Amino acid sequence: MAASGRHVGHYIHRNGRFLRVNLDHLWANRSFGWTSALQQQAPEVNKDSSESIVIPRKKTWSKTAVLEALASTVKRDPTAHPYQFQDDPYLAPRTSAEFRLFSLSQESGRSAAKFFVNNNPKFFTKDFAEPHIPCLMPESVTLRLEEVSEEALKERISLRKVTAAVDMYDQLLQAGMAVSMETSHDLLDLVCLYCDKDPEQEEGPQGETGEEAKGRRGRMRRDFPKTLWKENNNAERIFNLLPERDTRCYSALIRGMVKHGAPAKAFSLYTDLLNNRLTGDVHLFNALILAAPELREKYTEKWDLISELLNQMSQQKVQPDLLTFNSVLKALRRCGYVAKTKALPTLSEMKAMGISPSLATYDHILAAFFKSASSGTSNIDILLEVLSELEGRSFTCQDPDDVLFFSSAMRVCLDGKDLELGYKVQTLVEVGDNWRLLGDSFQQSIYYGRFFHLLCMMENIDVVLEWYRKIIPSLYYPNPQGMRDLLQALDTDSRLDMLPTIWKDIKSLGHDNKSELVEELLALMAREKHSPEVQESFAECALNVKSVCDGRPGTEWSASSLSYITTLLLRANKTQEAWEVLLVFKAKNRIPSEELLNSFLSACHTTRDSRIAVELVQLSSAFCLPITSALASRALAEFNLTEEQRAVLSELEVAVESSD
Amino acid sequence: SVRFCEKKDNVVTSTQLNEGESQTKQPEQKEEQHVLKADDGGTVSDQANDKPEQILAKSPQPEAETVKSGKESLLDLLGAMKVEVTNKRKLKNMKIKQSFESATQYNSKPEGMESTISMFQKATEEASSQSETLNSDLVAAASAAAATLPNRSQAESELLRQLRQRKALSEAQKRGDMKNIGVIIADMKVGKNSNRQNAWPSDQIRFDDDGRGYTHDRGITSELAGVRKWRNVFQAKRLSIFSPATEKDGVKPALAKPTLWDMDFAHQLCQSTNQMPRNGFEEMIQWTKEGKVWQYPIDNEIGLEEEASVPFHEHIFLNKHLEQGFPRQGPVRHFMELVVAGLARNPYLTVQQKKEHIDWFRDYFHQKEDVLNEADVYLT
Repeated sequence: MAASGRHVGHYIHRNGRFLRVNLDHLWANRSFGWTSALQQQAPEVNKDSSESIVIPRKKTWSKTAVLEALASTVKRDPTAHPYQFQDDPYLAPRTSAEFRLFSLSQESGRSAAKFFVNNNPKFFTKDFAEPHIPCLMPESVTLRLEEVSEEALKERISLRKVTAAVDMYDQLLQAGMAVSMETSHDLLDLVCLYCDKDPEQEEGPQGETGEEAKGRRGRMRRDFPKTLWKENNNAERIFNLLPERDTRCYSALIRGMVKHGAPAKAFSLYTDLLNNRLTGDVHLFNALILAAPELREKYTEKWDLISELLNQMSQQKVQPDLLTFNSVLKALRRCGYVAKTKALPTLSEMKAMGISPSLATYDHILAAFFKSASSGTSNIDILLEVLSELEGRSFTCQDPDDVLFFSSAMRVCLDGKDLELGYKVQTLVEVGDNWRLLGDSFQQSIYYGRFFHLLCMMENIDVVLEWYRKIIPSLYYPNPQGMRDLLQALDTDSRLDMLPTIWKDIKSLGHDNKSELVEELLALMAREKHSPEVQESFAECALNVKSVCDGRPGTEWSASSLSYITTLLLRANKTQEAWEVLLVFKAKNRIPSEELLNSFLSACHTTRDSRIAVELVQLSSAFCLPITSALASRALAEFNLTEEQRAVLSELEVAVESSD
Repeated sequence: SVRFCEKKDNVVTSTQLNEGESQTKQPEQKEEQHVLKADDGGTVSDQANDKPEQILAKSPQPEAETVKSGKESLLDLLGAMKVEVTNKRKLKNMKIKQSFESATQYNSKPEGMESTISMFQKATEEASSQSETLNSDLVAAASAAAATLPNRSQAESELLRQLRQRKALSEAQKRGDMKNIGVIIADMKVGKNSNRQNAWPSDQIRFDDDGRGYTHDRGITSELAGVRKWRNVFQAKRLSIFSPATEKDGVKPALAKPTLWDMDFAHQLCQSTNQMPRNGFEEMIQWTKEGKVWQYPIDNEIGLEEEASVPFHEHIFLNKHLEQGFPRQGPVRHFMELVVAGLARNPYLTVQQKKEHIDWFRDYFHQKEDVLNEADVYLT
């Protein structure tokens, strides 16, 4: 069809000259549209004569293709709230804590609704949807079959009721009924996976607390087993009861033992398997490789065990998969210096086997070469090569550890202060759906935190600010350290006039209660004199800082931050406001520096405000500062004073001198 | 050369282990510098002949490249020796090795520095004709360097040999005697220096008080280094444990239903990635996958999958179902024909349901056969 269409096109092209102008455009479009069909059939076209008609294959579009095409036209808007919070602009999070709270409550709301629907199916019987939508209807979560039968056992297994399933299995055995091999496999899988405990109800409200606990602690050590494998638990008991044991039974048990922290038992079971003249499967070996470093003390011995396992795999004709090599590399991370020599051969082996590495593979390799500049190849070099290989590719998650790659790659860039490389990593993140592999919000904030730190350290301030507007706060809520980095970057490139804007952001990010950060901001503003307009904005900012911090109960003003504020106000000729800050000194029992009082007096002089000057000297004497007499004499000399003021001042001048 | 001095001082001060040694070395180095300074004044000011013969003989290299290559080859040599040290000692003695490194590094510098300084100063100076004999300063420095190494005599002889080669090379270049160079180059160990060269600055730089370790800037040379390393990483020797699965013995029973472990793994993958939709379309994609919305492109036969294989005539020509169990004529037959005509136009029922509908009437009329026969309307 395509070819004939082309002939037609030619015909029009040649004969219909009067149409040509109008059709040219159309023609271009059409021939463009044919290219994919022609490419598909290109080999056949070459073989046959050019006369034959090539019917293009019917192209089946995936059901999401249209939506994907549409979605790709929408670019991220850095000024908008994240999409998941758009329904509730009032509650839109501005800090990471709020983000956590909001997303967790959203999630728990959904779970609660699901829980209610599933547990009360009698209220949700009406099915409006045509065609039927299964996920909107209640799922059965309660057991229906009560009698002792294999069907009931299967039901318990599919509902993941571990204890009930084990009970049912025992009842079946007592009744003398045989259980099919397939069902016992499933039962063993279930018991081993959950380590003989009922899994936490994911739909239940308590599932959320579990989620939260995971968020707090479990993120760093997600491999850490929650429950420990116990001696002679039901899994082992059922395993021993089985009339015959095949590889899958062993595999389930070994995987369960490794997952739940009993590597030594796993290896003894593996020996048992070999004694029974069985061969392992790939999952079993993956689990054993992962557990191997726990069994040996020395680094070389660990590697020996791993390579022995690999050799046995090869002898037993078990084909390794991606997870095998990722497990080897992950185990190598715990093998110290051996990792450096063995990681790259492992990667080559992997490629020789035709298995393309996932991001987790590269993550493990980077870890193996961490801080290894002394031996020649540093992980910066490794990362450079890895990135040159990965450039422009988009990935799907194949290993749960894939999500660690980007943040550790960025850490390498940060450690090496290599901005160029950092940009390369960021470019890779922006390709396709790779951003999904940044992981959950916690991982993502680590990644962007490192990236932003790197930018602040190495990049020109204009570019830093560009990135700042791009990623904050739509992707990343910086912590106080991040803001401090930004302040330093502003300082280095002397763009301190930006500080009032940054203060606004600090406020909205909820860091205005971090006294160190606020003090650093004030110090930067007060350090040098700037042009009058800038001073004006600084003074306003300082007042704002003061009002915000005063509004919060329990604020402890330090003497230095108070004097920064005073200095700023004085520079903007806001003597009255500055005087109020001085009173705060008194109220909070802080002592102003002599320098500050001197400059205050000079400011009074420029505004010819003798009243405040006298009060200043009085304040100083109230603090019993040694500078009082000097201030008093300065005031006497420089100001036009009334007799009364003069008397007060000379009294102070004398009083202090006499006390000396 | 000033920069080198700074670096060196850095190294010296940062390696505390080596303190005593370096302290003894430092005055010596300063002395030499001093001598050189004096010498410099002599050449520049009056070209007098009062400079020591020693120094005149010491630096015969007139070309920048030659000097540099000489220095580099010396560095390479020292780098190569470092490897020997590492091999001999166990890896746990890393610290000791480090101090050795810095010691050798330190010792190597005076030569390099002297020659660079003298390069500027004595560019016009004529070179000494004797190429095979090394001057005593160099020999002394080399033996001092070698003394810090465990295998003293061997290291010393290697050092001296290398120095001689360097000298020969520079002589040869100067004379324009290029054919000799090939022989000399072939004799030199160039293979080792690729890593060494790169590791050198980073080793020095690791002593920065900056803490985080500062990278040497990535110029064109390190671009080239990148290319070289690329080969290293991706063409590293493989473990050679597995044989590729060219034969199809590795074909797994793909039909096996996913086990609980597989489901758990998929769940983990899903949990670890960020699945939040970024815009409305992505949310609709999610809903489509969950089956909550109509699929694009819109197709009004969605949900009728089991009917897709049923041809239309099964729906329409239902008379064949009346062949059995119904009278051939009469009111029942007439009624049933009307029923079939109605069913044929009903788009909402499946063929199976239509058949069931007809079957229900068949059963019904069979049950009522007696009544119908009495009324004389049921004609078989």
